[in-house]
Formats: sequence, C-alpha cells, structure tokens
Amino acid sequence: MSEIIEVNQLSKKFKIKKNTSSIKNIFKPEYKTITAVDKISFNIKKGERVAFIGPNGAGKSTTIKMLSSILYPTSGSALVKGLVPWDNRQKLAYHIGTVFGQRSQLWYNLPIQDSFALMGKIYNIDEIPFKRRLAKLVKLFEIRDLLTHPTRSLSLGQRMRCEIVASLLHKPQILFLDEPTIGLDVTAKEIIRNLIRKQALEEDTTLLLTSHDTDDMEKVCERVIIINKGKIIFDNSITALRDSYLNKKYIEITTDSGEKIRKEINTDKTSAKQAIDELVQKYHVTDLTIENPPMEEIIKEIYARD
Amino acid sequence: MIKYWSLFLVSFKQAWNKKANLSGLLFFLFILLFIYNRLWEVIAADSFTSGLNRTFIWYLLFAEMIILSNPKIDRILFDDIISGTMAYYINKPISFFFMRYVEAVGTMSVSFFVMGGFGTLITLLFTGKPPFEWWQFPIIFIMCYLSSCINIIMYTAIGMCTLWLASIRTLAMAIERLAFTLGGAIFPLSIYPEWFINIAQWTPFYSFYYLTIKLVYDFSFSNLFHAIFLNMFWILLVGSFIALSYHKLTKRINIYGG
Repeated sequence: MSEIIEVNQLSKKFKIKKNTSSIKNIFKPEYKTITAVDKISFNIKKGERVAFIGPNGAGKSTTIKMLSSILYPTSGSALVKGLVPWDNRQKLAYHIGTVFGQRSQLWYNLPIQDSFALMGKIYNIDEIPFKRRLAKLVKLFEIRDLLTHPTRSLSLGQRMRCEIVASLLHKPQILFLDEPTIGLDVTAKEIIRNLIRKQALEEDTTLLLTSHDTDDMEKVCERVIIINKGKIIFDNSITALRDSYLNKKYIEITTDSGEKIRKEINTDKTSAKQAIDELVQKYHVTDLTIENPPMEEIIKEIYARD
Repeated sequence: MIKYWSLFLVSFKQAWNKKANLSGLLFFLFILLFIYNRLWEVIAADSFTSGLNRTFIWYLLFAEMIILSNPKIDRILFDDIISGTMAYYINKPISFFFMRYVEAVGTMSVSFFVMGGFGTLITLLFTGKPPFEWWQFPIIFIMCYLSSCINIIMYTAIGMCTLWLASIRTLAMAIERLAFTLGGAIFPLSIYPEWFINIAQWTPFYSFYYLTIKLVYDFSFSNLFHAIFLNMFWILLVGSFIALSYHKLTKRINIYGG
C-alpha cells in the first residue's frame, strides 16, 4: 500500500493576545504563544483507518485542520494525496471529505435532499452519477425518511449521518472525521461507528478520525495515534494498544437500593463475564455498564511505562 | 458557474418564502413614499405643476430600492469570520466570498423586484407618470439592480474589515450615513452646494448611488456610460481590497479546539 498522507515535523503555534487591561497593552499588546501541535511526524497508507485520539486540547483537531487545508502550519511539511494541503485547497477538495462534529456543512433551513443537490453542484458532479451515488449512500446510511426534512429539524444523530453522506458524495479517497460522535447517545454512537466502518471497508476509503472516546477507535479503526500536549506519544495498532493499555475495564452496577458500585477488572486475568456473574450473585443488579478506561488514564499509563 | 447559479436560486427561493419579511418591507416603502410625497407636495407647491414633486418621488423610489434591498452581507461575514464558520468552507471547491456574494444577491433580488413592482405602481398612483420616457424604464431598472449588486460588494468590503476591527457595526453605520448624504440617497446631489458635490465626486457613493439614480431625471447615454465606467473603476478598487483581505485572512485563521 502506498502512503496517502505524509506528515513531517508538523507544528502549529497560536499567538494569543494577553488579556491585560493596562494602557500599555492597547498600544503595544503582549502575546503569548501556545504550541498546539509540536513537530509531529507520521504516515498513513491508502485505505488505512487511523484514530487520532487524545484528551481535550491535545492538538488532534488542529492537526486534522492542517491536513484538510483549513489551517496553515507554523513549520514542518505535509502531503495529502501528493499535495501540500494549505497550498492546494481547491485541488485537494475533490480528494478529501471532512466532517466536523461540532459544525454543520448542510444548509440549516433547506431540506436535506436540497443540501445534497447543492453539494453535488459544488463538487461539479454530473446529474446521473450524482443520483446513482446519492441512492447508494442513502441506502447505506438509512436516511431515506430524512431527505425531505430540513436540517434544523433533525436530531444530532440523524444530522451526523447526513453530514457524513454529504462529505462522501464526491467519493473522496480520504475522509477526515473530527469528533463525529460528540454529543451522541450510546445507540446513536454505535450506529455512526458501524456505518463509518462499513463505508470505509466497502470503498477502501482512508480514514483519519479524531475522538476522545476510546470506543470510537476500537470500533472503527485498525491503527491508533495518541497525541498529548501536541506530541505523539503512541502510534501502533489497536491490538497493540488493547494488549498493553486497554486490558482494564470498569464495570458499574446500580443496585435495587440505588447504590452505585464500580469495579475495576483486568481482562487478562478475569473475563468480563466472570466479573459480572460475581456481581450479580452478590447484589440485586438493576443496571450495568462496562467502560474502557478514560483517555487520561491511558495517557498516564503510557507515560508511567516510559 | 452552475454551482453559483444554484446557490443564487436557493437563496432566491428562501427569500421569496419569507412572506412576512417582504410584507414588512413593502409596508415600510409605502409609508416612506406616502410621507415624502406629501412632504414634496408642500415643499414644491409652487413648482408642483412643473413636475419637481414627481421627479423626487421617483428618485426616492429607486434610491430606496437599492438601500432597502441590501441584505447586510457585512453582518453575515462578520459572524462567519468571528465564529470560524468561514474556515469550514474554505476546503470546499468553491470561493467562499463569491458564495456568500451570490447568496446575498439572491436575497437582494427578491426584495428589489418585489419593491420595484409594488413601488412603481404606488408611485404611479401618487404622481400620474414618471419623469422619464417609458422605454428608458428597463434601462434605469437594470442599472439600479446592478447598483444594488455593487452595493453588496461595498458591504462585503466592510465585512472584511472584521480582520482589523473588533466590531464593524460602527463602520457600517458610518458608511450608511455617508452613502445617504454623499451618495444622494435621500435627496439628489444637485440640490446641494457646489463644494459638497465636488467632495462627493471623489467617493464611491457618488457613482454607486447618485450617478445611477440620477438617470431617473436626467437620462442620457453619456450619463449612462459615465455611470457604468465610474462604477467599474470602483468595483475594481473595492474588489482588489476584498481579494487582498481574503488572501490575508486565510493565512490568519485561528481555530482553537474542535
């Protein structure tokens, strides 16, 4: 497989005006520099599904914005499909699709099908290929019933499915997904993850997905890059991460008296089934959840082992 | 160009569906024309028969069509830039500013044509006949429509000033007031003293508004071409400012976090 994304020593620094109320600051403002991304390097092969994860403020969104040609870097270089993203915005646009969980690219008051038609026009897709492509995506993402609804009337989960369809209309080879499951409930998250994975496998789309939810990477990706404070601290397969750091699970139960009990298990030693059986025998369980360790804990663990 | 035409149509349809907005606009136009008609009947009582009242009311109608149909693109751009929305469009195969521009022209077109139809009828009822020949009407109408399009370019430039200013409200308000006076948007510049007209001539408002609307009472092909050429000069100047600012803006985009 050939490299489709090449990142070399990429950095991004933001200059922020210091918020002081002195008169001196009006005439000669002072700035502080924040390093959001600090000399990161990695390559992604065609068709790879990579999770770019880290806690809030780690630099994952900034990286995705540089690679999808929104931001200029402070230093370093990157090639996406052989093009320098920030110098080739228009050219690159036809090869990449972007979904930003906290932003909508659909027209707020327009019915979804009209937004799709406009996107088709923006990407210069001819009528017949557009209809064929839309029909395929509508079926895959199960959004037929939503087509006549305006964006404003959709739930977050429904809107996210439509956002992903909109970003796939021009059949991009690379899909950048920035927090696509943010704010969604458990069921909606699961649906989105499955659909993203299914589409990527079906069309051999290269995925770069950012999230601070470890479940997103486990369900969708095969490789994970963990970033913290702008630096890459882990870059390996999901299996390697799972074996080394995701062998811990948290089981939380609610008893009939309303008491919440949280139990940590090491899946290398105890299976989840075994742990649940023990809890069920001991308590009257009314609710049960199994969680991965939070991102912060994994990062702490990585640093501790280094 | 098909993509921009599609965006124009969508925004045109959306503006057309806002019937309450349009009704409010027409009501305001009616009140304005009614008040000024009565006012000019009194002011120009002696010369009423010579048609001064008629001239001013038709002049006012076309001036208001340009001013009231302005979709305030400066505010849209300000919000786009401050909220970061703009950043999410620049990686699409479309020019962000041209997209916003054609959307604004779509919205403006609905207001302009509706006011044009309604205003012409009302003004005809008030004045009996226009101060120009009927064959000149479509030329004046098209010129005023183009002036409205140019007006949006000027407000796009104001929106671009978000790059340097924390708020563009004051600037937009100042420009609006200058346009009213130096552009002769309420009264034709010909009623002002000579020194005032000399100053106004050096501003874009003079050609954007006055030279075009002046055709209502002083139609000639030399005036028409004068307006076209001077407007083209200012479009080039204001357009260059927008292009340079946009280039600067895309390099200065800062979006923190997700």
